[in-house]
Amino acid sequence: MDVGLIAIGAGIAVGLTGLGAGWAEKDVGAAAVGAITEDVSLFGKAMVLMVLPETIVIFGLVVAILAAFVLPGYIPSA
Amino acid sequence: MSLPESMSRIVIVGGKDRLEETVNALFKIGAVHLIDYTNDSDEGLSIGKPLDFSPQASERLLKVRSAAKDLGINAAKADFEPMSLDDIKARISAGEVEAVERTVFDTIEERNKIAQKITESELKAKTLADLSKLPLNLEDYSGYESLTVMVGSVKEDCSEPLAQVPNSDFYISASDKKSRPIVAVFVANADKDKASAVLSEHNFVEMEVPSGTGAPADAKVQVEKDLEEAKAALEAVNAKLADMSEQHKSFLVASDEELSDEVSRGETPLRVATTDYSYVIDAWVPTAKVQKVEDDLKTMLGSGVYMEVQENRGRNLHEEEHAEPRFKKAPSKWKNGKYGKHYEFPVSLVSVPRYQELDPSILIGIFLPIFFGFMIGDLGYAIPFIVLGAYGLKVAKSKEFQAIATVLFFGGIWAAIFGTFFFGEMLGMHFLGHATDLQHTWESLLGVALPEWFNGVVIGDHGVSKIGTVDDISFLLKLTVYIGIVHLLVSYFVGLYNSTIQHGFKDAMHHKGGWIFSLTGLVILCYAITQMLFSSVPLEGMLLYLLIAGVVLLVIGIVLCWPVDGIQSILELPGLVGNILSYTRLAAIGMSKAGMALAFNYIALIMLAGSGDILGYILGGVVFLIGHLMIWVLGIISAGLHALRLQYVESMNKFFEGGGVEYAPLKTKFKHLIKTAKIQTEV
Repeated sequence: MDVGLIAIGAGIAVGLTGLGAGWAEKDVGAAAVGAITEDVSLFGKAMVLMVLPETIVIFGLVVAILAAFVLPGYIPSA
Repeated sequence: MSLPESMSRIVIVGGKDRLEETVNALFKIGAVHLIDYTNDSDEGLSIGKPLDFSPQASERLLKVRSAAKDLGINAAKADFEPMSLDDIKARISAGEVEAVERTVFDTIEERNKIAQKITESELKAKTLADLSKLPLNLEDYSGYESLTVMVGSVKEDCSEPLAQVPNSDFYISASDKKSRPIVAVFVANADKDKASAVLSEHNFVEMEVPSGTGAPADAKVQVEKDLEEAKAALEAVNAKLADMSEQHKSFLVASDEELSDEVSRGETPLRVATTDYSYVIDAWVPTAKVQKVEDDLKTMLGSGVYMEVQENRGRNLHEEEHAEPRFKKAPSKWKNGKYGKHYEFPVSLVSVPRYQELDPSILIGIFLPIFFGFMIGDLGYAIPFIVLGAYGLKVAKSKEFQAIATVLFFGGIWAAIFGTFFFGEMLGMHFLGHATDLQHTWESLLGVALPEWFNGVVIGDHGVSKIGTVDDISFLLKLTVYIGIVHLLVSYFVGLYNSTIQHGFKDAMHHKGGWIFSLTGLVILCYAITQMLFSSVPLEGMLLYLLIAGVVLLVIGIVLCWPVDGIQSILELPGLVGNILSYTRLAAIGMSKAGMALAFNYIALIMLAGSGDILGYILGGVVFLIGHLMIWVLGIISAGLHALRLQYVESMNKFFEGGGVEYAPLKTKFKHLIKTAKIQTEV
């Protein structure tokens, strides 16, 4: 039962952060494409801004990995 | 890591009559970065006028380009015969450009005329074909005074309403499914409106009856014959154009180059200050080449033209701030070796480095392939990357593809190294060890035992599992965090160096040095805290000292940063932790790929091929191939982009400012033309 809850928790961690990152990136992405269409030399800067929110997922992933792999060790084996 | 080359600002002065010679000499030297003269800088000076040959060269260039466009010649793709510069110059001044353009223009005109004639004839043939459905000759349609003739097509048989129109007669062809009926109405001028009302109700489309006599069918035969002839003529003209394209290809490409060069030389005075009798050229020259430029100018131009060094620009920002506006920015000349050069492109995507900062190309060149290789981390995917990269390096010409091929090649090599020795994996399966319910190893799959020495070179029992025990995973996560700390520290030290040369060491410590302390302190603090929380180590002895050391370093860092960054020096700290954790993507992306590989391997090898029948083997093989191909392609995108992102966001944000001006010396750039001296030795 505990393992199941941990798995659900890990899933929520990745899923919600993914959603959050996607939400943030959609605005940045739309603006970035617009800017690049105007001036191709902005590509590098646009890409930097574009991938910034991605870090949120990485946090979610780290939490999920910790939850899935590390947390089971803390469950009292009663 | 290198700074852009040192630059010196020079001024060249001479009589106005020597300007053309001087410009030619500067183009020959090819090391002088002109500073544009802006009209309002000084009194008594104005921008120069284009050199005498410039207007004619521009006109000729226009002709060459239009002829090349008409002939469909692409300079980048045309296979070009080597041609000497003198030869092409002689041919251009003999008026060959005009002659070629004239013939090309005439031939194109001719082709357009024929094409137009073909269109007209085709229309005429169609009209005649329609008319031949009516029992009338061509002369019957015209030559009436009191009658109006209306010929055209209608959407359906309209004999009955037409019969109602007074003082009229009409012919209509039988309607069939394929085409609209053709109708010819002869009506007294007075009743014209009634007839046209009936016709327009039936969606009448008028046609023009061709002049001529006799049956339309006979006329059609003649028109078709003409059409055939015109088509043959068109083919002949096209063949002629193809011949011309072949014949003039080399000449046009070569004269395009020569004329472009002439135009850029001819228009150089527009960027130079002149008085009534003299000119003044301001320019940047790499400091190392100043002497050579001076000597060359002296040998080429003799006396009467003077060059003087105005300043040797240092890296301190003071010098830039105090300079005249147009002398503020010294151009940045990339200074990278053969390997680092390929990474100038990713840097230039962000910006050209400033004159006063380290060019991060080589830093990217070191870390990008390693990160890419670490994320791929599989021998099976590495080999195609190496092959593709090597092929790309050989074939690719553009900067973009050269850069991509370099990353694929060296990243592939790192992936092979990590894949073999660190992860011990190929196509998602370990080399060594026993099969489990979920996955095979190569040893169990092939039923062989790999030699003993191989066990020795792989880390652990069978390499680090990307998906496996808690130990392996936490090891990977910790490792990537450490990689991140190292990478960030390197970035901050680069920033410290940049700041030092720009502002001096004291200011640099406030700008970047404080952050090095903050980062180190933060890392030690976090280490102590995680030890306390997760490993339940009691806070005493070594750990306590560590904790105190971390806090002290952190405080020093904040105090150092405070004068420059203010409250940011505290608010940015969680961001710094975020930057470090961001490097766990190195492990995470490898794990996601390993997860996919595990799934495909399970489906292919255990579910399908494990069933033992032939169909299972075939299906298993297909799933195996497609699955791994997909992972491989995703690998380029995800591993490549994430590796690049770590450079751009986490690393370069710490030190790179950009916004430099790229060094672009006056220079003759011939791609196809060969200078006379060379052609004699080579051909």
